[in-house]
Amino acid sequence: MKLATIGVGNAGSKIIDRMLEFEDKTGRSLCRHVLVINSARTDLAKPDYVPEDRRILIGDTHKKAKGHGVGGDVEVGAEVAKHDIDEIRRAFDDVEIHEVDAIIVAAGLGGGTGSGAGPVVIEELQKMYDEPVYGLGILPGEYEGGRPALNAARSLQSFVQKVDNFIAFDNDAWRSRGQTIEEGYEQMNRELAVRIVTLLAAGEIDETDVAENAMDSSDIMRTLDTDGVSSIGYASTTISNDADDGLLNRFREDEKPVGDATDAAKIKGLVRRAVNSRLTIPCEVTSADRALIILSGPSELISRKGIESARQWLENEADTVDILAGDDPRPNASELSAVVLLSNVTETPRVDEIQSQAVDAQDKIAELEAAREEEINELITDEDDELDPVV
Amino acid sequence: MKLALIGVGHAGSRIVDRALERELETGRDLCNGNVLVFDTAADAFDDITHVPSDCQVRFGDIHPDVDADGVGGDPDLGVTVAREDVQELRRAFDAVDFNDVDGLLLVAGLGGGTGGGAGAVLLEELQAICDKPIYALGVLPEADEPDRCALTASRALQSFVEIADNVICFDNDAWRSTVSYTDTAESEADRPYDELDRTVVSHVLTAFGASESAAMTTAAENRIDASDITRTLETGGVSSIGRATLELDRSDDGRSWLPSWLPLPSWLEGDAVDGPADAAEVKRLVRRAIDSQLTLPCAVDSTYRVLVVLSGPPTAVSRKGFESARYWLEQETGTVEVLAGDEPRPDASTLTATVLLSTVTDVPRIDALQERGRTAAEAADESESGDAEFVW
Ligand SMILES: Nc1nc2c(ncn2[C@@H]2O[C@H](COP(=O)(O)OP(=O)(O)O)[C@@H](O)[C@H]2O)c(=O)[nH]1
Ligand SMILES: Nc1nc2c(ncn2[C@@H]2O[C@H](COP(=O)(O)OP(=O)(O)O)[C@@H](O)[C@H]2O)c(=O)[nH]1
Ligand SMILES: [Mg+2]
Ligand SMILES: [Mg+2]
Repeated sequence: MKLATIGVGNAGSKIIDRMLEFEDKTGRSLCRHVLVINSARTDLAKPDYVPEDRRILIGDTHKKAKGHGVGGDVEVGAEVAKHDIDEIRRAFDDVEIHEVDAIIVAAGLGGGTGSGAGPVVIEELQKMYDEPVYGLGILPGEYEGGRPALNAARSLQSFVQKVDNFIAFDNDAWRSRGQTIEEGYEQMNRELAVRIVTLLAAGEIDETDVAENAMDSSDIMRTLDTDGVSSIGYASTTISNDADDGLLNRFREDEKPVGDATDAAKIKGLVRRAVNSRLTIPCEVTSADRALIILSGPSELISRKGIESARQWLENEADTVDILAGDDPRPNASELSAVVLLSNVTETPRVDEIQSQAVDAQDKIAELEAAREEEINELITDEDDELDPVV
Repeated sequence: MKLALIGVGHAGSRIVDRALERELETGRDLCNGNVLVFDTAADAFDDITHVPSDCQVRFGDIHPDVDADGVGGDPDLGVTVAREDVQELRRAFDAVDFNDVDGLLLVAGLGGGTGGGAGAVLLEELQAICDKPIYALGVLPEADEPDRCALTASRALQSFVEIADNVICFDNDAWRSTVSYTDTAESEADRPYDELDRTVVSHVLTAFGASESAAMTTAAENRIDASDITRTLETGGVSSIGRATLELDRSDDGRSWLPSWLPLPSWLEGDAVDGPADAAEVKRLVRRAIDSQLTLPCAVDSTYRVLVVLSGPPTAVSRKGFESARYWLEQETGTVEVLAGDEPRPDASTLTATVLLSTVTDVPRIDALQERGRTAAEAADESESGDAEFVW
């Protein structure tokens, strides 16, 4: 598949940058067009792989932004994007849209820029193009607190309404104890990039390579065409490239003559591991509407029988017959990987949690706002209001 | 956030002067040279060393009631002379490039005639000519100062809160116990303000100057931008700042600073598993920041919005710990509007947590000040009816 890739806000831009890094390191060419959009000038300077002229600053004339971000205010994020929509549109002038199959917009939903401006950008893209527009959205962790939960719960609604599919990533599920601030989200962002690029880059070479089983872009787009929320599972195994041992050594471990049956079992095992692994957003697998399995790696390692039995296994597991399975031949890959897309999953406990945290936050905010002026006034005046201000 | 610094009166001018000194010491550029100090007294700027002399403005000195000591502590006179000289004050603002800053901070001793009186007029003027946020830093008088100072401060606070977008307070009284006051003070005029001023300035600089440090060579994971600070303060009223610092141990390899509680990376020490200590320690540091002496002591759960900045070597901060600390702050302050950010200072040997509590509304210290203010007002009324003029 060929993509136009857009990152909005700090998290969104970092994710896009990691996607570019991963495709660069693995020789893929998924992202044909790249753009990052931010209201904070300093955040725009962060990406390593995004060309300078593909970064746009919005809201630099807005009173509450002025190039310094939107302070986590989702309303202001949406406002500045609407105000600068012409500039955003102009950034697409040189995008040859017929060269891409779809557009993806990445954003963190807990802040202000990605969560507020993201949906505005998507709405505009939907107006401009017939190609599907997908969202890649990061959900904030519980410990980020009530405000990010409220931003995310509101933004999620806008995203899901406007996109053709919303691929979700749950920061809480990927939080780990050891990370320092410096490592920050780096590791999580890489994990997400591996998944999204491995999934969507399948079929990018469908015109040149004619592997009979190869997945093509239309298969992926078909699976994504559910308007719902999706989750991705992934597993991989290293292939030894040691010339003496032979290419297949590591994968086939110590078994000498490898029969087709063993190969098939391994493929199925890998797919199984992908589904049972940490998904981008934890969900009830049976609640998926459609699913897609892609095996990415050297063709000779991907057994046709294995793919078929993996597909059957998932049919059972996900309780849907709408499952496509195929391979993404990567002759020089150092890994064999399985990526599974679960499309339109409806049982995602984390989304429910965020929503209830958001409702509490909204109530709390309203309660405080109602009392604020009165409380300030009480503080600055004496009990009987006898003292006068100096001016 | 870039803030123009405007000092008014003796306290205001001295604190602004200290802030410039501190900028040099820490490499944090808060005001970008946009600075002005105003006073009515003749010797006002004698001990000012960092504010350039063409940024020092003496006004009101032709008014018959103003002598070498300025307005003599009378805030109404302070207001009168500021209004009379308003053209001159406006001209002085030409020295400030409002486009070069994200906001303004007017600093004044609220108990003073110049700071509390003329300061309010200057705030009005600034609001009229500049569309950026105008904040004030108001210093509250000590308990052993005359009641009339409490009266002036109570009245000035009302005006400051009404005019400024937010008033950060510093309570001299709460902090005097932290300096050996009686030992060094030889007279009323010789209070050991240096120590207090250093304290107020370091709090203000870490809260507002996060992300303005020259030493910040690495990008923050979640940078505190001017908009984050502005949004935190937009609820108005009175605010307070807390701060705590943790000394870090230098790790053996000499490559980086590691806090003693952070488990060594596995390549240094076998397969060290991370214990809960790292997270707990960051949380404890943030907790200390609000449990310690705040610039204005207040009930923390009366806060409307919170900003927390963790400043130090990014390798020493557990992200999980920082998240838990933020969550804890949300519980403690009872507001969901808690913005958090980091300020990476790779070579620092300390980790500092600064917490800005915006719009605190339960402040016993201010109630007490008003009580004393009323006593002074009643005394003034009595002396007036007794035909004797109330002397400031
Ligand atoms: N996975 C991941 N999440 C992030 C990262 N940075 C921020 N976040 C999340 O994204 C949300 C929005 O933050 P940010 O992107 O900085 O705000 P914005 O720039 O205003 O959109 C936060 O609440 C976090 O949940 C990142 O690098 N990776
Ligand atoms: N922290 C601090 N407070 C001061 C300083 N000088 C005066 N104060 C306080 O500020 C109040 C006003 O005093 P001052 O600034 O001299 O009056 P003004 O010049 O008329 O505004 C006093 O009542 C003290 O509480 C100072 O240098 N530092
Ligand atoms: Mg974002
Ligand atoms: Mg930001």
